[in-house]
Amino acid sequence: MGFSGNLDELKKTIIAGVIGFAVGALIMMVYGYDPISAYRALFNGAFGDLYGFSESLANATPLILTALTFAIGFRGGMFNIGAEGQLYLGACAGVTVSLFHLPFATGFALGLILAALAGAIWSLPVAILKATRGVHEVISTIMLNWISLFLAFYLVAEILVDPLRAEKTISIAEGARFPVMVPGTSLSYAIFISLGAAIIVYILLWRTVIGFDIRAMGYNPLATTYAGIERWKVILFVFITGGLTAGLAGAVHVMGRPPTYAIYSGMPSIRGLGFEGLAVAMIGRNHPIGIIISAIFFGGLMAGGRMMQLFAQVPLEMVRVVEGAVVLFLAIPELIRLFSFLRTMGTLHIFRSKRS
Amino acid sequence: MRGCSISKEESSLVEGKSDTILEGKGICKGFPGVWEHLILDHIDIDVRAGEIHTLLGENGAGKTVIANCLSGFYMLSEGQIYVKGKPVTLKSPRDGIRHGIGMVHQELALVKPFTVAENIALGLPTSDLTFPLPEVEDRVRELSEKYKLYIDPLARVEDLSAGEQQRAEIIKVLYHDPEILILDEPTSLISADAEHLFEALNSMAEMGYGILFITHKIKEALEIGNRVTVLRLGKSMGTRETAKTDKTELVKLMFGEHTPAHLERKPVGSKRVVLEVRNLEALAADEEPALQGVSFSIREGEILGFAGVSGNGQSELAEVITGLRRATKGEVIIHGKDYTNHNPRDIIRAGVSHVPEKRREVGVIEPMTVAENVVLKDIRVSPFSKGSFVNISRVTAHAKEIVSRFGALVSDLWKSQTRILSGGNIQRLILGRETWRMPKCIVAVYPTQGLDAKAIDHTWELFMRLREAGSSILIVSEDLDEIMALSDRIAVMSNGRIVGMFEGSKANREEIGLMIATGASGSEHSQ
Ligand SMILES: Nc1ncnc2c1ncn2[C@@H]1O[C@H](COP(=O)(O)OP(=O)(O)OP(=O)(O)O)[C@@H](O)[C@H]1O
Ligand SMILES: [Mg+2]
Repeated sequence: MGFSGNLDELKKTIIAGVIGFAVGALIMMVYGYDPISAYRALFNGAFGDLYGFSESLANATPLILTALTFAIGFRGGMFNIGAEGQLYLGACAGVTVSLFHLPFATGFALGLILAALAGAIWSLPVAILKATRGVHEVISTIMLNWISLFLAFYLVAEILVDPLRAEKTISIAEGARFPVMVPGTSLSYAIFISLGAAIIVYILLWRTVIGFDIRAMGYNPLATTYAGIERWKVILFVFITGGLTAGLAGAVHVMGRPPTYAIYSGMPSIRGLGFEGLAVAMIGRNHPIGIIISAIFFGGLMAGGRMMQLFAQVPLEMVRVVEGAVVLFLAIPELIRLFSFLRTMGTLHIFRSKRS
Repeated sequence: MRGCSISKEESSLVEGKSDTILEGKGICKGFPGVWEHLILDHIDIDVRAGEIHTLLGENGAGKTVIANCLSGFYMLSEGQIYVKGKPVTLKSPRDGIRHGIGMVHQELALVKPFTVAENIALGLPTSDLTFPLPEVEDRVRELSEKYKLYIDPLARVEDLSAGEQQRAEIIKVLYHDPEILILDEPTSLISADAEHLFEALNSMAEMGYGILFITHKIKEALEIGNRVTVLRLGKSMGTRETAKTDKTELVKLMFGEHTPAHLERKPVGSKRVVLEVRNLEALAADEEPALQGVSFSIREGEILGFAGVSGNGQSELAEVITGLRRATKGEVIIHGKDYTNHNPRDIIRAGVSHVPEKRREVGVIEPMTVAENVVLKDIRVSPFSKGSFVNISRVTAHAKEIVSRFGALVSDLWKSQTRILSGGNIQRLILGRETWRMPKCIVAVYPTQGLDAKAIDHTWELFMRLREAGSSILIVSEDLDEIMALSDRIAVMSNGRIVGMFEGSKANREEIGLMIATGASGSEHSQ
């Protein structure tokens, strides 16, 4: 179901990737860096050895989940950028469990469940506002993202704070942590949560009735209504599932990322994972399998970027340039269409107003 | 038709000169993923200056594809196109226009809220802010005078009838001064208004244009044009002089053989009312009243046909009944229960099927696969899904069954997007999906639009079978023949009102035609 065109998509993505790297190289040259040694360092750092690859995978772990949030929405014709805020609360929920001294398995499971629920609850207002009042999800998710940010700041600083070290929260209880997979690296078994979620989302979208409804609505809302598919159900499902995965992203990050197992004040390692997920989803063409690959690519850029800085003296920000260029070139066909459309519309309206 | 006879005489003069302006030799077209057969298989076709060349073929024969090849929308897989004897390669529609080839597409594609002139301006290659709108307006007026395609350049497209929109599309193409005009099934949307178009085309041919006129209607192929080429499943079955061929020969070329439908009608036995509409009112998209005090009822095993020019409230009526548009007043009662302003889902559950007017926009989800579209409505129920999981093998089997029973040409149920199906094949898919359950009630808007003669016969027979089985059927059609052939009763709509209601057996064609034309009721009046 729905495989058609994937090859085409892959081709486009690879071309965009190549152009992105080329643009990155060009900019490096303009600033007097050596792109070849930079990219070599980048690649070696990301995929060259077990350590690098493990770091790349560890970075990919939360990204897969936040990208899924966006992708589910996108498939249903919605632009859900709420993962960022839901992720904060998921992370806090994961830590909260460790306030109580729970037996091993309970704490672990409860952490994941609460985190997922926190994400889902935070996306509920978005769904309800959209389904009942037609409030656009971009507006409501941006607002909720800010509310969540300051709520999380408060929780981190006041409620979850480590009594011994005020700059961070208490650490996740030993028993509630994901075991490390490759010793000496950040990679834990949490990656399987992400991979599992991707597979579940795949099955959901292409093997279930609600997935059918979601895709149908994404393509053609009018025909969806005609077919008797209820819009509000699809909306609710899309945002709740998206919230669940975003919340989980927060949980896997605090419960499955050695060595800290805690949130630092200001949440430096967590902030941005939600929006990064959006880019991951776009490059992965909103397909769960594509998302896994593109998340590893992004994770690799992050991991390798440090090596690039270390060995080729190219600033870390260069990685962002490459990322940005890839995303941009992927979006270009749509952008061109949008611009020419806006231009003709604009000119016509200017003209209309001139005449009347 | 007076216009035609003139042009045929004239054409013999032109034929003496016989200067071919557009020629395709050995045209082949295949699509990636459709390897089983070539969509076009070594087609030779030529259009001469001053002639109308008709291209006739059933649904899915490849008419649209060949038109797209000749006008630059598609690249050829093989073969060569010649313009005035010179070989050309058309890489885009712009190339086509540069070589003087203009194409009018099967589906209308104007931007609704814009005026005719603005729509034409949109297609011009301007990139700066100097939009030559007054110029465009003048030119449109001039063209519409010259070719008798009357249209007001300042009219908004959404206010135009299908026929007028079509004229606007033609003018949009003529604006580029083509020498060759390709029209893809221009009459499928405007069956009532076709004569007008024919006159315009004939006068254009007299002026020396070469016209390629595509249709699936044999009647039209015989009425208009100098030569006719018949296409069958991607192969050319030969070209004939229109004057020297006849219906039997064309039918044979088109279908192999074909026996016309035999419609048998037993009187309506039951008295049970299935669908009842009382005093219905609704607004159109522009907030103007679209329906005013519409009341009728349909009994079990009865077909009620709505005749009238489109745009008189028929579409809105169908939408209100099926839950796609709000009624501002009145009631819709199905099986004695009030379903006014219920959502489409409830109405589907109540057993109402809907063959919608806009097949591509509403009837199917184009980017989804054929199999998915076949079960668009049924996927929620057993056996097509169990629990919440789709039962793919059952869906596949069912899709295969529907597609083959309704003769839709489909290359792959799960791989090809529904977008690539020909118009007629999409219509078949929708008809199949909406009727296979033998529903209690069917609302069918233009049920045979875009279908070829054979498929129309099948559809008519299908409706009669459904009627026999007790379905109540509401049919909206612009084709009076269809209405007369199928209906037990005939309602005429004008300006959102039912202005006349006739017993099918007693209906008089002329009287109904007059009523449609004037929008006023004649002697018989039921409202
Ligand atoms: N892009 C495409 N890829 C694959 N197959 C295609 C594509 N476009 C058309 N086809 C197939 O080519 C065949 C001919 O289609 P075409 O649209 O030319 O039919 P048509 O003669 O115009 O029929 P109709 O009267 O129904 O409009 C159909 O079977 C259709 O499914
Ligand atoms: Mg066609």
